[in-house]
Amino acid sequence: MLSLIVILPFFSALLMALVYLQDTSKKRYLFFTFVGVGTPAFSSLLSLYFGYMLLNGSETIHTTLFEWISIGEFQVSFAFMADRLSVVMISFITVIGTLIHIYAAGYMRDDGAYGKFFSYFNLFMGSMLLLILADNPIMMFVGWELVGLSSYLLIGFYHTESKNITAANKAFMLNRVGDFGFIMGIALLFLSLEGTGFTYESIELHILSIDHDTLTLIGIFLFIGAMGKSAQIPLYVWLPDAMAGPTPVSALIHAATMVTAGVYMVARYSFLYEQIPDVGLFIAYIGAASALFAAIIASYQSDIKKILAYSTMSQLGYMFMAVGIGAYSSGIFHVFTHAFFKALLFMGAGAVIVALHHEQNIFKMGGLKKHLKLVYITMFIATLAISGIPPFAGFFSKDAILVAAFSSEHYLLWAMGSLTAGLTAFYMFRLLFSVFHAQPKEQHSLVKLPKSMTTPLVFLAFGSATAGFLGLNAAYGGSAFINNFLNLPDVSHHISHSSEYMLGALNVALGVSGMMLAYKMFATKTQELNADTLLKKVVINKFYIDEIYEFFVLKPLLILSRFIANVLDPKVFDGFINLNVWGYKNAATLFARLQNGKVRYYALYILIGVSAMSYYMIFKLGGL
Amino acid sequence: MLETNTLEIIIFSILAAFMIGGSLAMITNKQTVFSAFGFLVAMLGLAGMFALLDNRFLAIAQIMVSVGAVVVFSMLTILTINMKEKSLLVEPDKFKWIAFSIVLIAPFTYLLYKSLSSTALKFSTSIQTFDTKAVGHELFTSWALPFEMVSILLLVGMLGSIVIARKKKEKR
Amino acid sequence: MTPDMFFGLASVLFSIGLVGIISRRNLFVVYMSIELMLSAISLILATFSKLQGDAGGSVMALLMIGVIASEAALFLAMIVHLYRDYRTVDSDDFDILGSADA
Repeated sequence: MLSLIVILPFFSALLMALVYLQDTSKKRYLFFTFVGVGTPAFSSLLSLYFGYMLLNGSETIHTTLFEWISIGEFQVSFAFMADRLSVVMISFITVIGTLIHIYAAGYMRDDGAYGKFFSYFNLFMGSMLLLILADNPIMMFVGWELVGLSSYLLIGFYHTESKNITAANKAFMLNRVGDFGFIMGIALLFLSLEGTGFTYESIELHILSIDHDTLTLIGIFLFIGAMGKSAQIPLYVWLPDAMAGPTPVSALIHAATMVTAGVYMVARYSFLYEQIPDVGLFIAYIGAASALFAAIIASYQSDIKKILAYSTMSQLGYMFMAVGIGAYSSGIFHVFTHAFFKALLFMGAGAVIVALHHEQNIFKMGGLKKHLKLVYITMFIATLAISGIPPFAGFFSKDAILVAAFSSEHYLLWAMGSLTAGLTAFYMFRLLFSVFHAQPKEQHSLVKLPKSMTTPLVFLAFGSATAGFLGLNAAYGGSAFINNFLNLPDVSHHISHSSEYMLGALNVALGVSGMMLAYKMFATKTQELNADTLLKKVVINKFYIDEIYEFFVLKPLLILSRFIANVLDPKVFDGFINLNVWGYKNAATLFARLQNGKVRYYALYILIGVSAMSYYMIFKLGGL
Repeated sequence: MLETNTLEIIIFSILAAFMIGGSLAMITNKQTVFSAFGFLVAMLGLAGMFALLDNRFLAIAQIMVSVGAVVVFSMLTILTINMKEKSLLVEPDKFKWIAFSIVLIAPFTYLLYKSLSSTALKFSTSIQTFDTKAVGHELFTSWALPFEMVSILLLVGMLGSIVIARKKKEKR
Repeated sequence: MTPDMFFGLASVLFSIGLVGIISRRNLFVVYMSIELMLSAISLILATFSKLQGDAGGSVMALLMIGVIASEAALFLAMIVHLYRDYRTVDSDDFDILGSADA
């Protein structure tokens, strides 16, 4: 039963691909919608069922399909494991995924390659579920690679424009760099375990048998993989470019699910990371730096989807900060709440873009709150959530992270996090006010939005509003339900309730002040960005990071590649082979001359042989 | 019997000189007929050797067959071919080849000689002549089968030479 | 007169015959060198026959002579045949096997 959750999406992807390929011109809207949306719906029902079972005290559920690799000590079976962490993840991933599928059915309605889209989309769902439900690191890596592939396919979906293909390539390549680290980590882990089994449970049992330095190395390598997948510094540059894909793709992959795979990985390996708190601190600092960095850039962007992309990177930084300092449940909790409001924000942005005939610059929009009421209300709720305003979801999860940072005496992290929270509120409300409140420069005619696009927004808004209460900790009167349920090895620090209230109040104050500042600057008239000062110029150009990478990394690689292709390959390698061929040919010609067809010479050869033997017998063997 | 031995050695030496001289002449001459003459001399020497070994029958048989039949036949063929002086073979490297081959074959000769003489036997002093009667007796009793087979071989040889050497009536 | 002298002579004759086969191109000389080799062997056989007192060796030598005769006939017939087709008795002219279209 458990395996069906993963197998069904793959199967439906294959089915839709075959049907689509059979005749690419036929639309078959009904079929693809039914299969494409029905499969994640069914998976979500199954996931909720398993969640319910685990909730009622059942133990971790294992299902093994078959033995996949069996080479000596390296035994990998195609098996799934539903423990508390994975069941939490698959529950919200499948439910939110189903909602986004419904939204995509409306968004992509007029697209010719409708079937291809849903095939890829289901492939992605299957891969993500495989990643989460995997029972051993190798299966997780299979899922890891597959989500990277699906991301590439979906980003480059509008493949007729070359810049989309470039963006897809960029995403895949940076992912690959991260995967290199990931593979090294897994390999090192396997080698240092020395044959005691390679499933998560057996690794957890034997984790103490690995010495500290190896563990540090493994932790760093695994995190490099997370850096690539979850867009942290320095492997983040693909995420803004990935917005070239269709908006449902951005909503599902680059907001709610794939980018959280890195956080999930760290939480899954919590038994490893709790042994190496120094690496954890490094992770936390990278997370905090990414969060702050992204928030600064987002404050000056003008493309609505790029703002949301940088916002995703920033929130991911929060999650890594949490798992870095040992607050694993808070990190996963933030993943959970973030999925709701970020998916909602992307879908709302997509609705706005479609309504305005694919306009994406927020300064060309304005005054939409009268015309797109539903979208406005839901996005307003989501913006409140992301800014950390209670009682919406984002407040509780962000607060939990910042409290953990403060109480474990990582004050620098706490300061960076709080500053980022203020900036988050600022740029999110800047987006909201510029799109919906400000006076537009010119009037647009609006496209009517189908119900399939607007209804999921309502559900997600409800989630954004209420999901926070699942993680309510003791200070606010809750029972920290998710933290207890997840049962992860959190580092716990005690902090008095009054300090918690003060920190919470500080967060709210920062959020509200950000909102006020944005209101003052953007709510009345649309303000265009101008790069007057040098600082503004640098920030608007995203700190020129892309250009730096191009100069220092890409150019040398290209030069090296050209050198190898033009000089090394034809002259050295081929030259060596040609030398061999020349040698053989000449030797063959030489030997061919021995056989000239004259019997006399053949008799001579016999005589030479006999003579050699005779000489040998006489001189070496001493006569007769 | 010292005199016998000395006489035999003298005769042996003369015959050996004939044989070796004749064979050397055979392999170094440019004209074919001269080589045939050298061969004839060598065969006669061989007949003498057989006689020295008290083997009357073989000596006479050798003269009859090898000399009388083979050499004559070779001469006949050589003269039938009737090559003119100018179309005779020119072999410029003849002596180089001979020298090279002698160098190659010297150890083999030595080994052959050593292996044969390692039997360390001596001729028995009693003169045992193999005359026709002795040979004939062996030929028709214990060596009857090889005798018959050789006769068949001779028959086949005759037929074969006729077939090989005849003119083809029809065009190939 | 020891058997060694006969053996030595026979070895030398055998070698001379072998040298003749390899060095000369004239087919007649090749043929006669072959005959020389066979005769040297007959000499060895006869020597052994006298050594052992066994008439079998002589019989073998006699049969060898018979074989020599038959072989002579065939060899010379071949030379005649070849001369008729190729007009040469140079063994180096028969080298079709060495070329590519053998």
